[in-house]
Amino acid sequence: MASDTTKTHPWHLVEPSPWPILAAVSAAVMAVGLIVFMHEDSPWLLILGLVLVMGVFTGWLRDVVAEAQGGIFHSELVQKGLRLGFVLFIVSEVMFFFAFFWAYFHSSLPILNNVAGTWPNGDLEAIGAGGIPMLNTLILLSSSVTVTIAHHAIIENDRPKAVRWTGITVLLGVIFLGFQIFEYAELILHSFTISDGIYPSTFYMATGFHGFHVLVGTIFLFVCFMRLRAGHFKAEQHVGFEAAAWYWHFVDVVWVFLYINVYFWGATGFLHLPAS
Amino acid sequence: MNRCRWMLTSLLFISAWLAASAGALAAGPKPWQMNFQEAATPVMEDIISFHNLLLVIEILIVLFVLGLMLVIIIKFNSKANPVPSKTTHNTLLEVVWTVVPIAILMVIAVPSMKLLFFMDKAKNPEMTLKITGHQWFWTYQYPDNGDFEFDSNIVDEEDLPKGGKRLLEVDERVVLPVNTEIRLLMTSDDVIHNWAVPSFGVKMDTVPGRTNESWIKVTKTGTFYGQCSELCGVNHGFMPIRVDVVTKAEFAKWAAAAKVKYAGIQTPPKTAASATAKAIKVAQAAARMPGAHVLKR
Amino acid sequence: MSDTAHAGTDGGHDHSPTGWRRWAYSTNHKDIGTLYLAIAVIAAVVGGAMSAMIRLELTQPGIQFIEDFQFYNMLVTAHGFVMVFFVVMPALIGGFGNWFVPLMIGTPDMAFPRMNNVSFWLLAAALVLLVASTFIAGGVGTGWTVYPPLSNADFHPGMAVDFGILSLHLAGASSILGAINLITTILNMRAPGMTLHRMPLFVWAMLITAFLLLMAIPVLAGALTMLLTDRNFGTAFFSPEGGGDPIFWQHLFWFFGHPEVYIMVIPAFGVISHIISTFSKKPIFGYLGMAYAMSAIGFVGFIVWAHHMYTVGFNVETRSYFVIATMVIAVPTGVKIFSWLATMWGGSIDFKTPMLYAMGFIFLFVAGGVTGITLANAGVDQAFHDTYFVVAHFHYVLSVATVFAIYGGIYYWLGKMSGRQYSEVQGRWQFWITFIGVNVLFFPQHFLGMAGMPRRIPDYPDAYAGWNMVSSIGGLITMLGAFMFLWILYRTLTAGAPAEDNPWGEGATTLEWTVPSPAPFHTHEVLPDTSDLQAAE
Ligand code: HEA
Ligand code: HEA
Ligand code: CUA
Ligand SMILES: [Cu+2]
Repeated sequence: MASDTTKTHPWHLVEPSPWPILAAVSAAVMAVGLIVFMHEDSPWLLILGLVLVMGVFTGWLRDVVAEAQGGIFHSELVQKGLRLGFVLFIVSEVMFFFAFFWAYFHSSLPILNNVAGTWPNGDLEAIGAGGIPMLNTLILLSSSVTVTIAHHAIIENDRPKAVRWTGITVLLGVIFLGFQIFEYAELILHSFTISDGIYPSTFYMATGFHGFHVLVGTIFLFVCFMRLRAGHFKAEQHVGFEAAAWYWHFVDVVWVFLYINVYFWGATGFLHLPAS
Repeated sequence: MNRCRWMLTSLLFISAWLAASAGALAAGPKPWQMNFQEAATPVMEDIISFHNLLLVIEILIVLFVLGLMLVIIIKFNSKANPVPSKTTHNTLLEVVWTVVPIAILMVIAVPSMKLLFFMDKAKNPEMTLKITGHQWFWTYQYPDNGDFEFDSNIVDEEDLPKGGKRLLEVDERVVLPVNTEIRLLMTSDDVIHNWAVPSFGVKMDTVPGRTNESWIKVTKTGTFYGQCSELCGVNHGFMPIRVDVVTKAEFAKWAAAAKVKYAGIQTPPKTAASATAKAIKVAQAAARMPGAHVLKR
Repeated sequence: MSDTAHAGTDGGHDHSPTGWRRWAYSTNHKDIGTLYLAIAVIAAVVGGAMSAMIRLELTQPGIQFIEDFQFYNMLVTAHGFVMVFFVVMPALIGGFGNWFVPLMIGTPDMAFPRMNNVSFWLLAAALVLLVASTFIAGGVGTGWTVYPPLSNADFHPGMAVDFGILSLHLAGASSILGAINLITTILNMRAPGMTLHRMPLFVWAMLITAFLLLMAIPVLAGALTMLLTDRNFGTAFFSPEGGGDPIFWQHLFWFFGHPEVYIMVIPAFGVISHIISTFSKKPIFGYLGMAYAMSAIGFVGFIVWAHHMYTVGFNVETRSYFVIATMVIAVPTGVKIFSWLATMWGGSIDFKTPMLYAMGFIFLFVAGGVTGITLANAGVDQAFHDTYFVVAHFHYVLSVATVFAIYGGIYYWLGKMSGRQYSEVQGRWQFWITFIGVNVLFFPQHFLGMAGMPRRIPDYPDAYAGWNMVSSIGGLITMLGAFMFLWILYRTLTAGAPAEDNPWGEGATTLEWTVPSPAPFHTHEVLPDTSDLQAAE
């Protein structure tokens, strides 16, 4: 609120904003839309909610991006706060995935669920670790490298290099998603669907939410790509890019966990100890 | 000084309370009851005696805190003590109030573990009772006594016999022999229920897809009541349990008769069975549709 | 922000937004705190009305006025949800936290003011969805624990449970964002000189609470998501037919649910510490012990969840672990209780209304805490689980202790927030009525539980009539206290005497008492120097 010349503290007091209340209303529309979609098979309210949420989000982020320019609002301390806040957000995401990993272990480890059963359930076969999953692991791991190269380029104020490597990272994200869609399509063709019991439930839920996070991370990086081209980021002012990079690393780590546990151990039967 | 007196009074109070309720005769809750229902199994006896220990310790803790607060109110109000002290540390005190609770908890933990391991499973079960929860009745099965089974439903208020206990009486009672170590196996057909009889110290969830195990050894003949103890839908409050514990000889007689009586119910012609089962399912589905009328009251 | 937004507010330093925009678009921690308190009061009326209906139905054996038992189950469920998510959490965390964390650490606002506002509005949206769920398809009749299979599509086919799930999703998002905001503010924005070990205990409490929220709520979100897909997309997480396990839901729910109860009580601990210190005119005794005791409670709170599940059929080793782990929490809690007593010891105590509530808190929290120890022992819990003994336990720690902290906190800070002081006489009356009311209401429920009365039933065997009648009368008295509170609030806001900057005198030493009453729209724009604050050790 204090005008810039009289500022007596390093903090950023944000102007009143219509975005929060609009965001909440849109989220509520989306939630109700989802319910209507599930019960009445009519997707329109859900689509409206999605569009509203995306619109509000874009408007909101526009303001943030505008504030980040010019070095007035986003002082060094404010940047520190933004980074801390984003790390905390990632912590909450980790706990979200914790629930899905717990689901996987609870249903596959007799020692946790105390019920003798077979894993995978029914006469399903476990999905192997080779092929597409292995390829996707390589893609995601290398994209973590490329995003780090881009980050270093920003720190060295080498914009063309940063643009280039961010672009490559975005591409790798898209390729990953493409492969995952292909994998899903193949599985569904072999009638392995989410409603076929606990194994496909945990499989699709964990990999699906991961895939969604890859999508978000890719979009996030794409925004950074555009902002880099517009010259938004400098060596001392690129919280937005850092957040995207951290998010990308988080998505990568989750994938490594998924790959080891769901694809590798799950398929080798390593986890399937007999019930006591 | 003061503390001694509180201890004495509280002990007196508790023993008076326990004595007052010891005279109870038949099982089931009593008006204005302030204590457990009468114990009829070793497990429940142990629960009660362990709880007596807990109760004394806890009442002493509460009274100790209350006593300190009374002293504070009397001695350290702004009239009695206009100038506050500035003490904010006393290492000895801080150590004491960390260590003493730890010691108390250890005193609690030992009998707690003993009780827990004792109540866990039957050591030498002489017979088994299988219990299945349904919305909203129980099915009992006697695999060791001829493998008959029957359903046990609440008795509606209009049909209550004279002196019958509202919401606790059932049409077909569980009959069990006295002084017999009985293994209870529980499961459910639909949602989670919980088979609980306070006098037996038994409370165990019946979970679809699982078989849970508990045990009883009833040492007194008589009638014992319990209620479903896990929210299971509209009529959760209306699926009571009644157990009649009889002598072993009476039980043998009853079991022989029951085998005949329930046999017809057990093996009806196949098609008819599935037809009735289906009808029941439909009726249940209708009943649990929100807003629909409740099945029985 | 964008240039156009600047144009309207260039007027001057103290210019504040006006009209409905001030509230709807707010980025001011005090205004948002006020909004949170307002929604808490509204929700308390709703949740209180629901509890009144519950107690009315239970006044006597037989059916009083609720013929549809699904409606009764829905009432119990919604009462639990509303009180937990829309009264206690918003009042203590959103309300007091927003108002006083920035004031106490000497910073002009929260770290992310816009995000602060979206936290509030998401909560409001969640409340709308929850209220909607009560009107749809018979409502959510599952208890606030939402255990499947009862909550799955076979047994709750309507939309109600989905409304409930999405309501909790929104409330959860609100809490996570709020937690991020609090932690960032506290870790990053303290005034010069205010080290972590000089922070007021309320701020410590909010920091620990925020961490609990950050770690626990996402697990609930994951669980709710699985329940949603089980209900609507054919997954089998909780259904044995597909190889899933209904018990798994209980693990997830209580992995969130147990930390949740400390999320509700640790902020209350913070409020109580300030009140005790202020009215004893003494600094808090054993400050560091207090701060680390709360941390310990928060940490251990994550590894005790299955004490809510002693009767699901665990093996005995599992249960014995959870018994021991649960009882450990009594130790740090005892440290807090005794440190409060030691703070008062040697003090020069004024028994103003907030202090009465604080002392009531200590006494009745201990009473509720020791019954928690009873329940922690899996052996006796076999007798108490799912009886009114549990209901008595958790209302003593929640509806008595935590609500006392809310009442006490409002009396304590009302002058600072509104610029007007309540009437001491009225406040004391309201305390005593509430004190008597809650004890008459909840103490007899211990007896009912011992005698075996199950919870969540709309009608009970006739033998339980006596104490239920007493309990309902206590409920009436408690309601009277609540109405009186609303009246005092109204009188104070409309006609209260002007409050001094520091109405409590020498004992009130935290920074919020150095700013005017009511606290102006912007505070601490010149950062206070706190380096002369006494370090803790
Ligand atoms: C604010 C909320 C709150 C708080 C603080 C607590 C605190 C505690 N709770 Fe409670 N609890 C609930 C809210 C809360 N609870 C709710 C809502 C439920 C029911 C949920 C549902 O099913 O719907 C529940 C249920 C519940 C159960 C499950 C019962 C059942 O369903 O069968 C158990 C079992 O262990 C338990 C234990 C405890 C313990 C050990 C503590 C401890 O933290 C208490 C520690 C405090 C003290 C012990 C007193 C002070 C200490 C001293 C003076 C030191 C000396 C003391 C000793 C040496 C003992 N609680
Ligand atoms: C904080 C939580 C909270 C609070 C305050 C209360 C308050 C009350 N509750 Fe309860 N209750 C629960 C949490 C709470 N409850 C939960 C979690 C359950 C379990 C649900 C389930 O089984 O699923 C439950 C269940 C429950 C039952 C058991 C129902 C059953 O099992 O069948 C009963 C029965 O008597 C009951 C009664 C009451 C009564 C008479 C009050 C009275 O005290 C109400 C009177 C109080 C007021 C009218 C307002 C109080 C004021 C505030 C809260 C602060 C105001 C805010 C500001 C000033 C900002 N509640
Ligand atoms: Cu069956 Cu409750
Ligand atoms: Cu708990």
